[in-house]
Amino acid sequence: MTATSVRLSPGFLVTGLATLAGIACFLLLAAPVSQLRATQGPEAIYDVTRMVLIYATLPRLFMALLCGAALAAAGAILQQALGNPLASPTTLGVDAGARLAIALTLIFVPELFGFGRDAVALAGSVLATLIVFALVRNRGFSAISIVLAGLIVSLYCGALAAILTLVENRYLTSLFIWGGGSLAQQSWGPGLALLWRIAVCLPAALILLRPLSLLDLGDEASRSLGVPVGRVRALAVAVAVLFSAFVTSAVGVIGFVGLAAPILARLAGARRFPERLLWSCIIGALLLLLTDAAVQLAASGSAQFVPTGAVTAVLGSPLLLLLLPRLKLTQPPIPTNPGQALPRRRPAPVWIVMGAGLAILLVLLRLAGRNADGSWALFGFDDWHLVMPWRAPRFVAASAAGGLLAGAGFILQRLTNNPLASPEVLGVSAGAMLAVAVGLFVAGPLNAIGQNIAAIMGGAAVLAMVLLMGRSTGFAPERVLLAGVALSALADAVVGVMMAAGDPRAVALLSWLGGTTSGTSANTALFALVTCGLLAAAAALGQRWLTILPLGSATAQALGTPLSHARLSLFLAAAVMTAAATPVIGPLTFVGLLAPHIVRAAGVRHALSSLCTSIAVGAALMGTADCFARTIAFPIQLPTGLVAALIAGPFLLLLLNRGARLT
Amino acid sequence: MRHDLTRRCLLISVAGLSTVRAGATTSTPRVACLDWALAETMLALDAPPIGIVAASDWPLFVVEPALPRQVADLGLQQDINFELLATLRPGLILTSPFLENFEPQLRRIAPVLNLSIYDDSGPPLAQREAVTRTLGQRIGKHAEAERFLRQAGQSFELARQRIAQLPHRRLIVATFVDARHVRVYGGASLYQNVLRRLGLENAWRTPVGYFGFATVGVERLADAGDIHFVGFDPLPPDVAPALRQSTLWERLPFVRAGRVSMLPPTLPFGAMPAALRFARLLTSALERASA
Repeated sequence: MTATSVRLSPGFLVTGLATLAGIACFLLLAAPVSQLRATQGPEAIYDVTRMVLIYATLPRLFMALLCGAALAAAGAILQQALGNPLASPTTLGVDAGARLAIALTLIFVPELFGFGRDAVALAGSVLATLIVFALVRNRGFSAISIVLAGLIVSLYCGALAAILTLVENRYLTSLFIWGGGSLAQQSWGPGLALLWRIAVCLPAALILLRPLSLLDLGDEASRSLGVPVGRVRALAVAVAVLFSAFVTSAVGVIGFVGLAAPILARLAGARRFPERLLWSCIIGALLLLLTDAAVQLAASGSAQFVPTGAVTAVLGSPLLLLLLPRLKLTQPPIPTNPGQALPRRRPAPVWIVMGAGLAILLVLLRLAGRNADGSWALFGFDDWHLVMPWRAPRFVAASAAGGLLAGAGFILQRLTNNPLASPEVLGVSAGAMLAVAVGLFVAGPLNAIGQNIAAIMGGAAVLAMVLLMGRSTGFAPERVLLAGVALSALADAVVGVMMAAGDPRAVALLSWLGGTTSGTSANTALFALVTCGLLAAAAALGQRWLTILPLGSATAQALGTPLSHARLSLFLAAAVMTAAATPVIGPLTFVGLLAPHIVRAAGVRHALSSLCTSIAVGAALMGTADCFARTIAFPIQLPTGLVAALIAGPFLLLLLNRGARLT
Repeated sequence: MRHDLTRRCLLISVAGLSTVRAGATTSTPRVACLDWALAETMLALDAPPIGIVAASDWPLFVVEPALPRQVADLGLQQDINFELLATLRPGLILTSPFLENFEPQLRRIAPVLNLSIYDDSGPPLAQREAVTRTLGQRIGKHAEAERFLRQAGQSFELARQRIAQLPHRRLIVATFVDARHVRVYGGASLYQNVLRRLGLENAWRTPVGYFGFATVGVERLADAGDIHFVGFDPLPPDVAPALRQSTLWERLPFVRAGRVSMLPPTLPFGAMPAALRFARLLTSALERASA
C-alpha cells in the first residue's frame, strides 16, 4: 500500500488537481464574469448573470469544496481508526444507511427537514455502521471483511429504498436525484448550514488527532503509552459518521470521494496521520470540485440530467478494483474450521425435512390468494382454473431460482471460508443487471428473451473478468469476493445515473431489478426447475472438494487436491447457477447468503447433505417470499426478489444476535 | 382433473366470446386498460374500463374524468396482477408500446390492442385525436369519439380566444422534482402542444429529451427572464418551505411579480382529456393572474 519506491510530495498532486479544477472553473465562470463586467451600469436592472453567479454557481462550488473536504476527512479518520486502507463512508455502508433513512422520511414523515432531517440521516448512518460491525465481529475486524460487510449493507439498504420507491413512485425521480447526490444550489443557506454543523464537530476531530496518530504504532504500543484504544476508535468512527451524515442530509449520497482522497494522499506520500488528514481534505475538496465542474460543463445545454454523486460513484467504484492488487492481504485472525465451530447436533433426516417443507409450500400455494375486492380467498375459490396458470409458474420459477442461489451461496461459502460470501457478492448478478439496464436504454424495450440473453451475457462477462483477475492470485477467495462487490457497486452506480435522468422506462427497469416474477410463463418455470436439478447434480459431483477446501489450502494440497483447478470449477458452477437464477428473480435477494447459514445453524455438516438442504431451504424461502409478494400489498404485486431480501435480512441479524459463530 | 379444467376453461371462454359477440352491436366489450391515457379516453367516451392499473393513484394524478368506484385496481403498471386480470374475464386488453414485454402473457387472457400515445410520428395532439378515433371504433363508441373530438376542438378554440385577450407573455411549464430541481416541459410534450394550440409561447428553448422534458436545477429558470411560471400540485412535501429560503428563487422576476400559478394535478403523459383539462386550468389561471 505504501509507495516507498516513489517519493512524491502531496503538494505536487494537489497542484495538478488544483490546476485542472482551476481550468474547469475558469471555463464555467469566464463567460458570466466577463458578461458581468460588460453590463455594469444602470441598465442592468434584472441582471440574470450576476444573480445566477452569486446565488447558484458560487454556492455550488462552495458546496462541492465543503462536501469533498468533509467526506475526505471522514474517510481519512475511518482508515486510520480501523487500520483499514479501504474504509470510507461509502464502503462501510454509512451513506447508504442515511439514504434509506431519508427515503423513509420523505415518504412517511415528509414535514421533516432541517435538523430533523439531519437526525434521521444520522440515525440511519449509525444503524448501518453498527450492523456492519456486528457482521464482522467474528472476523476480527479484518480489513476486507469490513468492506465486504459494508458494501453488502449498502446493497441491502439500496434494495429497501428501491421497494419503497416502487410502491410510492410519486417521489421516484426525487429519490433518485437525491440518491445520486446533486450539488445544485440556489442560495448560500444550505452550504453555510453544513459549514457550521461541521465546524461544531471539528474540535472532536482535532482532539483525536494525537491519539489516532499513535495508533500507527500498533494497539499494544499505543495502549502502553496510555491511549484508550477502544474509546479512541469508537469516538473517531462517531466523528466520521457525523461528517458523512451531515453531507448526505444536505445534498444526497456522494460516493467514493471519501475513499479516493485519503488513498491519493497516502500514495502521494503523506506519511503521518495529521499530514494525511490535511492533504486528504484538500484533495477531496479539489476532486469533488473538479468532478462537479466537469459535470456542469458536460451537461450545459443538454437535456440529460446527471447528479454529481452518481458520477463520483461510477468513477470511484473501479478504484476499488484497481487497488485490489496493491492490497496486502492479512489472513483473518480466526480461521475457524466450520466443522468444529458449532456443537454437533443431530439434524433431522434431510429427506423428511425437505418433504415437509415441500408439503407446506404446496398448501401455501393452493390457499394463499386474494379476491378482486381484496378479501382472502382460502377455500371454495371459483376462479381456480383462471388463477393457477399464473400462480403456479411464478411459484415454481421463484422456488427453483431460490434453490439455485442457495446452492451457489453454499459453494461460495465453503470455497472461501467466508460467511459473507454469496452470489450477490460474486458480482455475476450485478453484471446481469448492468447488461439489461444498458440494453433497455440503448436498444429500447426488450422482450423476455432479449432480457435473458442480455442478463446471461452480462453475467458471463463479469465472471470472465473476475476469473481473469483472480487467476494471478490463484483465486484467493477474498479478492474475488471484493472484486465482485466492487462490480456490484459499479453496476448500481451506472443504473443510478440512468434512473436519475428521469426516463419513464426507469420504472420498468427498477421492477426488473427487484426481481418481479408475475407473468412468468410455464416454459420459464420448467426451464428454471430443470436447470436447478441439473446444476445441483453437477455441484454434487464436487462434494469431495467442498469437504476438503474449507480445511485451508495447505491441508487441501497435502490431500492432493488440484487447488486452482478445484477452485475454478467451483466458482464456475456457482456463477452459472447465479446467472441462471438472476433473470428469474433479479440480482438482489440475499437468499444465497442466508440459506446456507440456516442449514449450518440447524446442525447439518456433511457437504452433500448441506448442499441439498441449502437448496431446499433456498427454494422454500423464495417460494414463501413469492406468496408474500403476491398477497401482502394486493392488488399491487411486489417484486419477489426484494421481498425475499426483506425476509432474509432480519433472519440474518437474528442469527448474528444469537451469537451463532458464522465461521 | 386436468381434462376437467381445460374443458371448463374452454366452455367459459366460448361463453364469454358469445356474450361479447352478441353484445358487440349494442354495448362495449369488457375492456381492461393498462394505460392511463387510454383509460381516460375511454372514460371520456363514456365506456369505463372494467379494470385499470394503479387505480388508487388516479385521484392524485389524473383527478378528472373521475374514476367510477367499480373499476378494479390491477396493481402497478410495471408489475400487473395477472391473476386478478384473468379473473375479471376481460374481452379486450388495451396496452401501450411500453407494455410490449407483457403482450405474450396478456394474449393468454384476451385479445390485445396496443395503441401508441408517445412516439415521434407527429404532433402529440393530432396523434391523440387519431388514437381517440381508433379506440372509439374498437370499443363500439365511434359516434361518441367524433362528438368528443368536435367538442374538444371547440373547447380549445374557446380557450384560445379567451387567452388572445390577455396580455402576451411567454410561459414556463414545469413540475418540481424536489426543492432544487424542476422538470421543464417542451419539445414533443403534450403541454407544449397545448400551448401552441392556445397561441401561447413556451419560453424554454434548450433541448428536452425524447419524452419532452428536461430535469434541470432551479437556477436555469433565471435565463428565461420575464415569464409566467406554471407549476403543478401536488408539490413534494419539503419544497414550499425550502423555496422560501432559496434566495435565487425569491429573486426571480416572475416570483417577485407574483406570476406563479400552481395548477391542480394533470397527467403529463395523458391523452385528449388531460390536454383539455390542462387547457381549461391554464386559461383560468392566466385570467386570474392578469385580473
